Amino acid sequence: MFSPGRVPRLIASFSTHRVFNRLPVMLRRLPLFLLLYTLACPPAPAAEPEPAPAEPVPAEPAPAAESAAAADWHRFRGPHLDGVSRESLAVDRWTAEGPPEKWRTDVGVGFSAVVIGGQRLVTLGNADNVDTVVCLDTATGERIWDHAYASPTDANEFEGGPTSTPTIEGDRVWTLSRQGDLFCFDLAGGAVQWSINVADAADVRIPTWGFAGSPLVVEDALILNVGDAGVAVDKATGAVLWSSDDKDAGYATPVPRTTASGTEVVIGSGRSFVGVDAATGRIRWRQRWLTTFGCNAADPILDGSRVLLSSAYNRGAALLDVAGEQADTLWKHKDFQTQLGGGVKLGQYVYGIHGDLARGGQLRCIRYDDGTVQWSDDRVEYGALSATEDHLLVLSQDGQLLVIEAAPEACRVKHHSRVLRGKCWTAPVLSGGQLYCRSADGQLVCLEAN
Amino acid sequence: MTLPRRTFLQAAAATGVMLQAAPAVRAQNKGKTYRTALIGSGWWGMNILREALAGGNIKVVALCDVDRDKLEIAAEEVSDLTGDTPATFTDFRELLDEREIDIAIVATPDHWHALNTIAAIEAGAHVFVEKPTGHTILESRAMIEAARANQRVVQVGLHRRMGPHYVSGMEFLRSGQVGDIGMVRMFVHSRGGAELPTRNSAPPEQLDWDMYCGPAPLRPFCRKIHPGGFRHFLDFANGTLGDWGVHWLDQLLWWTDEKYPREIYSTGGRPVKGPPVLTDKEQTTDAPDSQIATYQFESFTATWEHRQFGGTGPEKTSVGCYFYGTGGIFHMGWRDGWTFYPADSKKPIVHQDAQHKQPDGHSIDLLWADFLQAIESGRRPTCDVQVGHDATTMSLLGMLSLKLGRSVRWDGEQERILNDPQANALLKRTYRGDWQYPSV
Repeated sequence: MFSPGRVPRLIASFSTHRVFNRLPVMLRRLPLFLLLYTLACPPAPAAEPEPAPAEPVPAEPAPAAESAAAADWHRFRGPHLDGVSRESLAVDRWTAEGPPEKWRTDVGVGFSAVVIGGQRLVTLGNADNVDTVVCLDTATGERIWDHAYASPTDANEFEGGPTSTPTIEGDRVWTLSRQGDLFCFDLAGGAVQWSINVADAADVRIPTWGFAGSPLVVEDALILNVGDAGVAVDKATGAVLWSSDDKDAGYATPVPRTTASGTEVVIGSGRSFVGVDAATGRIRWRQRWLTTFGCNAADPILDGSRVLLSSAYNRGAALLDVAGEQADTLWKHKDFQTQLGGGVKLGQYVYGIHGDLARGGQLRCIRYDDGTVQWSDDRVEYGALSATEDHLLVLSQDGQLLVIEAAPEACRVKHHSRVLRGKCWTAPVLSGGQLYCRSADGQLVCLEAN
Repeated sequence: MTLPRRTFLQAAAATGVMLQAAPAVRAQNKGKTYRTALIGSGWWGMNILREALAGGNIKVVALCDVDRDKLEIAAEEVSDLTGDTPATFTDFRELLDEREIDIAIVATPDHWHALNTIAAIEAGAHVFVEKPTGHTILESRAMIEAARANQRVVQVGLHRRMGPHYVSGMEFLRSGQVGDIGMVRMFVHSRGGAELPTRNSAPPEQLDWDMYCGPAPLRPFCRKIHPGGFRHFLDFANGTLGDWGVHWLDQLLWWTDEKYPREIYSTGGRPVKGPPVLTDKEQTTDAPDSQIATYQFESFTATWEHRQFGGTGPEKTSVGCYFYGTGGIFHMGWRDGWTFYPADSKKPIVHQDAQHKQPDGHSIDLLWADFLQAIESGRRPTCDVQVGHDATTMSLLGMLSLKLGRSVRWDGEQERILNDPQANALLKRTYRGDWQYPSV
């Protein structure tokens, strides 16, 4: 159980006492809406648990080719669903100004990350209550195709706009809106293959901040964080294969794991995490996981039968063992609360942003096996991160790109430069030697990482 | 306690016994630990409770919320902070029946403030209640009557009367350097755009929606209302004027020697968000996206203005209160402190930064300490229920004029609108079902 007295020891080498003293309070509540609170006085309208960049993990039957050429970053949190790019980063050759900018464009308001298929990039944005799916040429940033549909910006104490990231597989791309509009496009030309409103089709409600998880392809199905424990549709037709109860979904992306009895997906629901049989939708296990705002947004981090959960809004982290169709808690504490985007696991350590937008967060490193906090650094007040195998790539809330050594001993910043202005909650994407960073108001910049 | 404690208190108050008895009781209470209950354990309620706990002399004995998830998480936080395990309730009446408490903190949506507060007072508790003091003016009046009749201290969450820069700003205003002040302008601006309807749904399983609505109409649930959205639904609150407006109107009343405005007119609506929608399928908010209210006092005019589109624009600030005087313009702000701009541009600008509790920019700690001192000394608290009532009444008069579409003349002594029965009918509302509008 969490005890404030433990924290200083754990973080010893890194934080200041000032930080320790603030911890007991900081660990609690993070009403997102405090952010925009500037205008809201007390209880501002709803909050902004924005499931912007959440991030899943390990794997699903991993795409075969791996070692030599790194695969495209074709889905949220990358080919391995872990937020880790297998590409290298020539950070030592970067100047203080940061990597050279290749192109920059406006993709509309939102928090959707980019995904890459060949020389095509796809993401989502919103302007004037219209969502636009844009496909850009990765070499030039020029628009190849787009598709617009009406969708409220739905600014619920934050900018609004889409929070889900598209998913590419082969020559198809799927997108999900906050209202449940689910599309399948032809990646080459943008022709709509099919579309449904999945909330209507499955007859389930839209959660407070709209749907945010990305579609996950498992064999012929597209599994979505919609309803209490997910919905699956036929990826070729959009026909509903199975669905779940009409209860609030959470905001994380489903993460698969392989088991003896078939693929299981771990889904962050509104009030729990569930393990679901991908083929049938049957719930195998459920771990109650309440947060103040029903905001389970960070993707679970899987390792075999172990599942690391982390949510903010007064929750914390826990490592579960879900072998045997029940969730056994291996450890649990409140020292690692990832509010929007999930952390990354490199070796035995997990790196993520603990805390909340309103109070300021800290970049933390914990040990996966026992949850021990290795270090905590408050230079990054808030932001989102991804990684290479050696480095953390952090886009801070105010648009600074930080490259940090991935090491459990200390938080060593190797590079920082400003790449964007305005709020950034979307994790950077490294794919094909290019680094993509996006702000809430829709600036997308492509940097030459190598 | 077995009691007909409630009955005793009412009887005692009626005979005036309490007036004499109270000081002795209070003397004994010095240094005591106050058994405290929180009614409404959401974000702001827990902010208050944390500050109260930091003050060191309360024990949280019970929490109440109609959302069982918020209740459970709040109880867990109290346990983490104190080691105590508070009892949890979803109905404040059960809490008050089953637990003996010294203090109730009321942080529910506005439409509940009067019923929660009066019940707590009648159960013998002192009350710390969030502003506004009522959803309609006569609720607010009934809260005063209950407090006085039962000799209970009621502190209203108008922390802007205690925050350091507000206090020093008010001293500066009164120093004469602003000259003769002829006009006051209060405002809150933000960004925004059109609003499309949101689909209704069944309420979340952990939410007692009937109890959430309580005395208000049982409207269909939608995700924009809860959590955190009630202020923009007029069934439960009074929009921006009923929220932010109360703080700035209170600054105005703090400054002026006049007690109330004589004539009020308000206009506004939803030119940007669009007309309100409420069907069995979907709904929008219904509070105005922009509004202007004018308050005519005998010696000056005050205006309120809010706008949920366009942003701050050329102004330096998006929120606050301008006092326009012959000596210059004084801005009482929030996170930006206060600033005086002399009319003579050769004179230096005077400024003081804000000092707040972060991250939420308030001074609840000071307000709480003042509340306990008032309980212990028998004096009125700084933000006494009357203070809250006066500011709340101004905001509700603005809303009332907006709904009527005409100006109203206010008799602040009788708390009646002159020569306008239709307007006077809006001083109260019809309650739903068995809920009883508090009698004055």
